[in-house]
Amino acid sequence: MKAMLDARGIRSGYSGVTVIKGLDLSVGPEVFAVLGANGAGKSTLLATLARLIPLTAGELWFDGQDISHAPPWVSAARGIGYVPQEKGLFPDLTVLENLYVGAMIGERARDERLAEVVELFPDIGARRHQLAGTLSGGESRMVACARALMQDPRLLLLDEPTAGLSPLYVDNFFDRIRDIHRNQNVSIVLAEQNATKALEVADRVMVLTLGEASEVMDASSVTTEILKEGYQI
Amino acid sequence: MNLDWLTQYVVTIVILIVTTVGLALLLHLQMGLAGIGNFGIVGFYGVGMYAFGIFLVHLPWPESWGMVAPVLASLLFGTVIAGIAGLLVGWLIVDLDADGILLGTLGFAAIVYGLSQTNRTWTGGAEGMGTTDFPYDIGTIKANTLLWLGITTVVVALILYYVIRVHRSPYGRLLIATGQNEALARSLGKPTFRTKMVMFATGSAAMGLLGGMYGVMLHYIRPVELGIGITLAAMVGLVLGGQARAWGAVVGVVLVGVLFELVFLIWIPFPTEWRRQSLPVIREMLYGATLILVLMTRPLGILGRMRRDRTVRRPAHD
Repeated sequence: MKAMLDARGIRSGYSGVTVIKGLDLSVGPEVFAVLGANGAGKSTLLATLARLIPLTAGELWFDGQDISHAPPWVSAARGIGYVPQEKGLFPDLTVLENLYVGAMIGERARDERLAEVVELFPDIGARRHQLAGTLSGGESRMVACARALMQDPRLLLLDEPTAGLSPLYVDNFFDRIRDIHRNQNVSIVLAEQNATKALEVADRVMVLTLGEASEVMDASSVTTEILKEGYQI
Repeated sequence: MNLDWLTQYVVTIVILIVTTVGLALLLHLQMGLAGIGNFGIVGFYGVGMYAFGIFLVHLPWPESWGMVAPVLASLLFGTVIAGIAGLLVGWLIVDLDADGILLGTLGFAAIVYGLSQTNRTWTGGAEGMGTTDFPYDIGTIKANTLLWLGITTVVVALILYYVIRVHRSPYGRLLIATGQNEALARSLGKPTFRTKMVMFATGSAAMGLLGGMYGVMLHYIRPVELGIGITLAAMVGLVLGGQARAWGAVVGVVLVGVLFELVFLIWIPFPTEWRRQSLPVIREMLYGATLILVLMTRPLGILGRMRRDRTVRRPAHD
């Protein structure tokens, strides 16, 4: 499998505190799940891969190019889309304007991309003129995901997209993740606490424990014992 | 039409109000959209005013050129110098947090004020620098000033048109996105620092142009023109009108300008001895009190949110 994203011994963190402690990761055309308990470092890892947090050591390659020290807008322009766990929208802009902000880069016509994301998330059509700040939690995640897709990414980093949402919504969202990967040919790195749902859509899995990673394994081979050890239960 | 009530002094105050509307519109771009609270408006306005004055007064303009070319060239010079000042100050402050931006811009305004008082060779120090004049003569001083009011209004109307266009443009959306969540905006493929710098420098240049234009009317440019009052008026007016809305700058500044500069200072018959010292100080206190009151009772201002929500509301779920 040809790696699209390749991280070699990466370390990162905040204000001198190292959160990600020398991690190797290789993502190809797949859904790659990063599992772990609260505080394991999943969000920090994804923000680091999106280049929002600088590396303190290691190398990061995307599509054969070294992006270890590239600013976030460069990695975005090269095809990395990022959906943070919270505050993934601009609240004073309408839903449609949020999507337009996502479409500032890329070559395809904006309306063509818009039609695709509305087809994927039909609820957006009815809410396009609503202020993003008035959306419910589930709608916000949906629009944030759609905004990232408007960038025409080749790799999508999803940080706990269903945290705190109702079970019905969670099922629906994981179906959409599957659709994005299969129909739009987008690779996905999915950080998730909900191991059961993540394992349903993931091809491969890594369990993160306090910034250190387990072996990468096929989703089908993950056992309850591995998860218990990783989640330190 | 009888225009006797429109005294020279009233026309001058109206020009000041229109100029302040322009400054508040530019502040709206910086603070209302991009989240850069520029408390040094008067610094850029002052750089433009003094650069205009120095260029006009100290350069040996040939008499055969008349007044139009020297005034226009000096206004252009003031605009460019204020833009360069905006680039330098912006480079230092646009990535700082709100406190850093507040202190940086206030400090810049203090430096400009200090230079205007102490650099006697170029600025004339506390005594000021002159003379500047209108680039035309259509009869009386009042007629000349009224025409300048018209020209200033056209320039401010163009700034309003530009600001309204920015609101709905991709550039404006990027500014708003940067002001609301810069980390997220940076992950969308555009360099936010460059976006903020372009906006800050062009805004500063336009503030300089307004300063120069006001300097034309002053005839004599003095440091007293660079007090905190102009920043207060633009800031209070914008916050009162609604800092997230382009028209907020117009509504708010006209409201506080008419109330505090015309009604309070001119039309209410206070005793004459109050007018020299007490009333200007009380007026600045009124500006401060208005700012506190608006922020406490209606922080979004009269016009409210940046966008109208055109979807029928229904209870949030999840």
